[in-house]
Amino acid sequence: MRNLRTLFLNLFTWSLVLAVAFPLFWMVVTSLKPAFELFRRPPTMLPETVTFEHYWRLLTETPFLLYFRNSVILAASTTAVVIAIATVGAYSLVRFSYRGRESLAFLVLFTYLLPSVVLIIPLYLFMVKLGLSNTLFSLVIAYTTFALPYALWLLRSFMASIPEDLESAALVDGASRMGAFVDVILPQLLPGIISTALFTFILSWNEYLYALVLVNSDAARPLTTGVMTMLISAFNIEWSLLMAASVMMSLPLIVVFAFLQSYLTRGFGAGGVKG
Amino acid sequence: MTQQQKTPLERQYGLLGVMLIAPTVLVFCAVIVYPLVSAIYLSLFSIYTPTLKGDWVGLDNYAELLSGSEFWSSLWNNIIWTVGTLTLQIVFGVGMALLLHQNLWFRSLARSLILFPYFVSTVVAVLVWRWLFNDLYGILNHLVIFSGLSEMPLDWLGSMPNAMLSVIFVGAWKYFPFVVIAVLARLQTIPEQLYEAARIDGAGPISRFIDVTLPQLRDVLVVIIMLRAIWDFKEFDLIYLLTGGGPVISTQTLPLLVYKEAFALNRMGMASAYAVVMMAIMLVFMIAYIRRTGRADS
Repeated sequence: MRNLRTLFLNLFTWSLVLAVAFPLFWMVVTSLKPAFELFRRPPTMLPETVTFEHYWRLLTETPFLLYFRNSVILAASTTAVVIAIATVGAYSLVRFSYRGRESLAFLVLFTYLLPSVVLIIPLYLFMVKLGLSNTLFSLVIAYTTFALPYALWLLRSFMASIPEDLESAALVDGASRMGAFVDVILPQLLPGIISTALFTFILSWNEYLYALVLVNSDAARPLTTGVMTMLISAFNIEWSLLMAASVMMSLPLIVVFAFLQSYLTRGFGAGGVKG
Repeated sequence: MTQQQKTPLERQYGLLGVMLIAPTVLVFCAVIVYPLVSAIYLSLFSIYTPTLKGDWVGLDNYAELLSGSEFWSSLWNNIIWTVGTLTLQIVFGVGMALLLHQNLWFRSLARSLILFPYFVSTVVAVLVWRWLFNDLYGILNHLVIFSGLSEMPLDWLGSMPNAMLSVIFVGAWKYFPFVVIAVLARLQTIPEQLYEAARIDGAGPISRFIDVTLPQLRDVLVVIIMLRAIWDFKEFDLIYLLTGGGPVISTQTLPLLVYKEAFALNRMGMASAYAVVMMAIMLVFMIAYIRRTGRADS
């Protein structure tokens, strides 16, 4: 009876899990099918002939690699800038007292919830005026609008969970405030920093709206808008090619999932969803 | 705070604290506060996007917006989308979290698979779903015809109410993992004794869920619902990429309307007015969430 219940529960749950994951499975399968097999009815669940021609074409005949490079530069620099500012900022918000600290924390939370479409028109005008539109730099600036409040908010709760005694002990031993920060707080905060960096990187990697508005040239286009341009400009939509692009675009994510997943779940706990 | 005399060390620390937060404040002012204020300012002008020249029109944009039908239909779409997708997310999310909390074979693998749609780029999600929804070769239409539900392939994204339902469904698929993870984390902290006590009192699985699990989840669910309501309300990518607001404007929500006014109809002032009104509506939820978080913090 008990075994039967376990069996039923497992079958039921796993069929739901597989149904949720099916679109992603289908993406991989489609990207590996040769063109003639793609339009067969009924569709084949697993490709009868596996081909990598779509990946090859993607890398050699389309600007995919350029978009990929742009996305890497963009997400990496946004993450670096945001983490640097947010780590010291969070330290200040949690461990120092000065006037306006509380209202700042409030402002951080407020901006964390702010819709991008409100900021996008002034930011667009701003970039045009400064002559920065169509550059990766303009996107780094724009991405800080959502990444910085987000990183600050996460790091703030990670910072708050480090016992204050550790720092006090270092101060009693004669360390300066910044010395204690570097030697005591930073090592303790490292898992939190890694997890925040991962989230920031993924957020920037996936961003679409700012890239759509601020960049209109292939030289600075990241993957999100780049791949959509490939869809729109194609005379007939080549689904295999697009699915191959989708798989390639998800690669960094798959790497994170395979090796660093515990950091992702940790970030969730700190992200303000604890009841 | 009541202390008037501060020691030199405290004053020095205060100064250091201010210096450490200074970069954050500078960036905030440049990229968030300044654009926010200018959005409100711009909404009082009539600006033609290509030339960026404009005249002062005062509150005319707002008068036009409130009397026009497009704002109200977009707001209505926005509410349908938010309520629809949020309900599905919560129902699926809580259900899946309860299942994944059980002893499963390969439980951590199942949890990773569930998490994936949330982290995958919206562009990827939309491309995959558009392929699944494809008229002739999409697997969903194949299933529909094969199972005899319909003779003809369905137009998933190009007709109403299909388009709205599809968008709501894909939104639920993309964002329900957030609910799963948050609820799962809370489930793991419910003390086992509560269940044992209920079991001794003769409670069955259903009454254990209603009397033990749900009250324990209440707080976290309130937070999740507020947070997701805000995020779903402002969603742009998913709807824009799936339907573009179509057919005609049937799935056009407020963020799409702002984008259309600014960059397709070239009326930046009007677009800013839409954005400001949208933010004003969201402010209600935002303040509710911030107040609640503030309370939990202290």
